[in-house]
Amino acid sequence: MIPRLLLAALAVGLTGTVLARPAAAQDPRLERLEPSTRPLVAALIDSARAFGLPAEPLVQRALEGTIKGAPGDRIVAAVRRLAADLGRAREVLGAAASLPELEAGAAALRAGAAPAVLAELRRARRQPLTVPLAVLADLVASGVPADSAAAAVLALAATARDADLVEFRRAVERDIALGAPPAAAASVRVNAAAREARPGPP
Amino acid sequence: MFEGGRDVVDQIIARLRRPVRIDPSLDARVMERIAALPTPRRAGAVTAAWRWLTEPRHVALSPLSGLAVAAGLVALALLLPTIARRPAPTIHELQFVLVAPHATAVSLIGDFNDWDAARTPMRLAHGAGAVWTAVVPLSPGRYRYGFLVNGSLWLADPAAPAALDNDYGGPSSVVTVAGS
Repeated sequence: MIPRLLLAALAVGLTGTVLARPAAAQDPRLERLEPSTRPLVAALIDSARAFGLPAEPLVQRALEGTIKGAPGDRIVAAVRRLAADLGRAREVLGAAASLPELEAGAAALRAGAAPAVLAELRRARRQPLTVPLAVLADLVASGVPADSAAAAVLALAATARDADLVEFRRAVERDIALGAPPAAAASVRVNAAAREARPGPP
Repeated sequence: MFEGGRDVVDQIIARLRRPVRIDPSLDARVMERIAALPTPRRAGAVTAAWRWLTEPRHVALSPLSGLAVAAGLVALALLLPTIARRPAPTIHELQFVLVAPHATAVSLIGDFNDWDAARTPMRLAHGAGAVWTAVVPLSPGRYRYGFLVNGSLWLADPAAPAALDNDYGGPSSVVTVAGS
């Protein structure tokens, strides 16, 4: 519900506040954007901020587009998409989610993780979710199917430390680089981690 | 009756106008008595401060000011547990490395430096040929970044995961800084 409201607000805010917006209220870093793009991005950021979403990731996404020479409409689209992803992440992770958690949650959702996976992670893990969510997104980027990546991270999230999760991701990437199918690599590494965590007969 | 009363008044006036004789030793005797009185102890600074703190006072507050103070106290009570629970983020120093044999200048650019090519120039490692390095302090989180070679060539980090949400075409990498 909230993302829909956010999307509507982003659309309305974009058209309604662009001309009325005083330039003095803009983040000075947005001066690096093209003059025609700047008010559109600033309006999007204002709308997102009004929904309690963090402005910093949106500013950074716009600046990334600038240095990469992206056209203004693509920058606006990227910022709008990220704002929507952040809104979806906050809806699932809760209002108390930290900025890094929201950013990682947005990346995981963009990677194809279902919102239910994020909610399940929130229930399963007491520590911050930044690293599990980031590892999930990174695994998908490495070629692991989103479902397999989500299952792997969920299997480890309750007990693994952040450093263990990062090491797990590296191991899966090594296996993939050596020729293992991505889904199988994730599955094998999860099973290995489970065996290490569960002491038993050799 | 009236005439007789007048005489009495005149007599009183005349007596009051008579100069009063004071014993010349009066001053000395008064000062002697004063000197004989016990000396009261002077209150020290701590005592004075304690008295100032404990002395009841009346504070005048308008209803609006009272509401504002109450709202401030409620906000403080709500925020304090959050502030106390949230530990200060640990800063980690991360080293970024790129092997670029033909580069004359390499910049590290990302979410951590506002994507500003001038902020984090990389340096050639001593005795390592074409190895460019930069060390950046980062708090826990997920950061997108890349390398700008010779001011125009955009490169992702071959040793890091690629950014999946790549909206601009040029490749970016991702680094996740763990907090636990």
